[in-house]
Amino acid sequence: MNWRNETVFVTGATGFIGGRVCERMMQAGVPQIKVRALVHGMHRAARIARMPVELCPGDLLDRASLRQALGEAKVVIHCGLGPASSIVRGTENLLAVAHAGGVKRFIHVSTAAIYGITPPPGSESEDAPLRRTGDPYCDNKAAAEKVVLNYGKRGLPVVILRPSIVWGPYSAWSTRLIDDLRAWRVAFIESGHGACNTTYVDNLIDAMVLGLEDDRALNQAFFITDGERVSWGDFIRAHMALLEAPPEVREISRAEIEAGRGRSSGLLLGSMKATARVARSKEFRQMLMQIPLTEAAMKKAWTWISSLPPEKRERLRAHLGVRRAAAKSANAKFIPDAVTEATQSTTVFFSIEKARKMLGYEPRIRFADGMKLVEQWLRYAAYL
Amino acid sequence: MTEPVRLAILGCGAITRSEHIPAVSAHPGVHLVALVDTDLPRANALIQNRGLSCKAVTDYREVLGEVDAVINALPNHLHVSTNMDCLRAGVHVLCEKPLAITAAGARSCTEFADEKKLVLGVGMNRRFAASHPLLKLVIEEDLLGSIQDYDFQYGGAFDWRSASGFYFDRAKAGGGALLDFGVHMLDSVIDWFGPVSAFDYQDDDWGSGIEANLFLDVKHAGQFGDIRGHLRLSRTFELKNRMLVRGSAASAEISVHDPEVVVIHRALGGAPVSETLRLEKFPGGSSYCRQLDNFVQSIANRGKPEVDGWQAVRVLELIESCYAHKRRIAEPWAEIGAETGTKSGTTMGTTTGTATVTANSETRT
Repeated sequence: MNWRNETVFVTGATGFIGGRVCERMMQAGVPQIKVRALVHGMHRAARIARMPVELCPGDLLDRASLRQALGEAKVVIHCGLGPASSIVRGTENLLAVAHAGGVKRFIHVSTAAIYGITPPPGSESEDAPLRRTGDPYCDNKAAAEKVVLNYGKRGLPVVILRPSIVWGPYSAWSTRLIDDLRAWRVAFIESGHGACNTTYVDNLIDAMVLGLEDDRALNQAFFITDGERVSWGDFIRAHMALLEAPPEVREISRAEIEAGRGRSSGLLLGSMKATARVARSKEFRQMLMQIPLTEAAMKKAWTWISSLPPEKRERLRAHLGVRRAAAKSANAKFIPDAVTEATQSTTVFFSIEKARKMLGYEPRIRFADGMKLVEQWLRYAAYL
Repeated sequence: MTEPVRLAILGCGAITRSEHIPAVSAHPGVHLVALVDTDLPRANALIQNRGLSCKAVTDYREVLGEVDAVINALPNHLHVSTNMDCLRAGVHVLCEKPLAITAAGARSCTEFADEKKLVLGVGMNRRFAASHPLLKLVIEEDLLGSIQDYDFQYGGAFDWRSASGFYFDRAKAGGGALLDFGVHMLDSVIDWFGPVSAFDYQDDDWGSGIEANLFLDVKHAGQFGDIRGHLRLSRTFELKNRMLVRGSAASAEISVHDPEVVVIHRALGGAPVSETLRLEKFPGGSSYCRQLDNFVQSIANRGKPEVDGWQAVRVLELIESCYAHKRRIAEPWAEIGAETGTKSGTTMGTTTGTATVTANSETRT
């Protein structure tokens, strides 16, 4: 379709992907393309407020507000999310309003994570069967796709894109990684061999444009990545190279992670006896004064213990009666959290052949070039 | 004892809730007569929640006959007309910043206040933080040696929960980060170092007039000679959030998050050391309390408030010049041509609508 004379409605516009969509729309030609941006929290709109986009207050969970925000727009790019539990309802509300409003194209930004945080082998292509993963984000995004396809059957022209690790300027993948590297909270899980499936944000937006233009995209879902076999090790190393004083990032196996977690819970949670001793200990009481007592207190307690100088750790261990060898090796390495471990453990590189063949999609930002742009942005954004 | 100043607060938005009401409630010389807001339930709820004994009205003109002064905390574009109405009724005004969205507007109400011999104070609360006079003393007493330059950065994810959301509406806000928070920074540096004689300004406005980021290099020609300053302001990125004045002997730093002290950095036997300076016998309360007290004293003495309309006019004239001569901040990560991305040959992301930076790096005078 010729979407360039239409008004485009963008959800998630105050976020990383939606914000870039607004920028690219501006570059594609104002005033021919009018952009209406759904804004849930006006205070988060500083990035897009600098462009002549229409800031439309509204909430994906409130259909009346969506009707008003959509206005006469005939193209919808749905990057909005909200909490995992309301992904389906929010998407359905938007689909209903778009359908009633005679929308001519609905681009649904889904995710390759519908196959799980650790997609299993066999999920390389779009026709791989979906099964419940147990993760609320993954399962709800998968359910949202079904709702989108149902509206497709009812006549709403829908296109589904499944990017993976969407990165680029403004992405938390880079800013969080920089923060974590500075805090020595990064490890190469299984030598960093996990598939990263990077999707540079502008490559994703190129795919959106193809989805708008090519009718063969209708009612189809496409994996969208950079099409390069970038590993998590590559991704981490590329960011380490940006730091003046990069930390030592050590390798850790999944078995070690498992064992490390077992020991930490064994120390603080597993043994009632030990826990009682911890609670009585002077060190623990002093520690309580230093950290907020939340549900994360136990996790923080472990972090705190890990951060102590060796001699103090030794004294505490003796006091608690914890086996020395276990605690020593647990302290020796940073143990990634469960989500990070799961994210970086997939061996699956998603295939973009379908998007290539049907839409002519070709990722034009290569990983190395993307990193250069990210570096420039990180410097501008005062991260480096 | 003099009679208390009878006062109304216009606008019940974020700043009134967080600062003006506590300041007014704490001041023994002020009697709060009314809260004014077009959203009457909002004003009434505020009166109830804070246990106030004033009334709520929707139109400030209803109460002008009952008050000596107002605090004007309405959205920016309403400041001038409201100030004029109040002054015309013989009412003193403490106006939130910016005094106006244009220098001409600021000038008109300042001239009118002078003519009516009324107090028109401008809400520059940072002047009332202890670090402001303290840094002046540090410079005057030559603690830093000859001053080389300064670097003033303020930035973080914008999180101002404005009740009306006018901040992102050009017609109502008048501008972006420069007009919003830049007025504080410029007011401070002009008070410390004298008038700005030259500047070079860049921002990231893509056509809405609501910039989120800016770089402003200035040159002051004041009593300390030519001093260069670099200001950076962001509504999107966490910056260093401090003012650092570099001198030949030492540097002085004011943290935005702790504006009551000045930290001096210097070398002692080659080792870097720092010391924290604090003004003793400085009045307590928030900077808004001290600002209100200065306003009340000015009314009692018919004197000039710490920050009057003329200072605001100077700052707004500079801001208008910045906007008039602005260059676009280069964002190479955003300037991606899309030639290979779409097979139809049509492109998204060409430079249409993204004014290429025409580098005129000359400092403007």
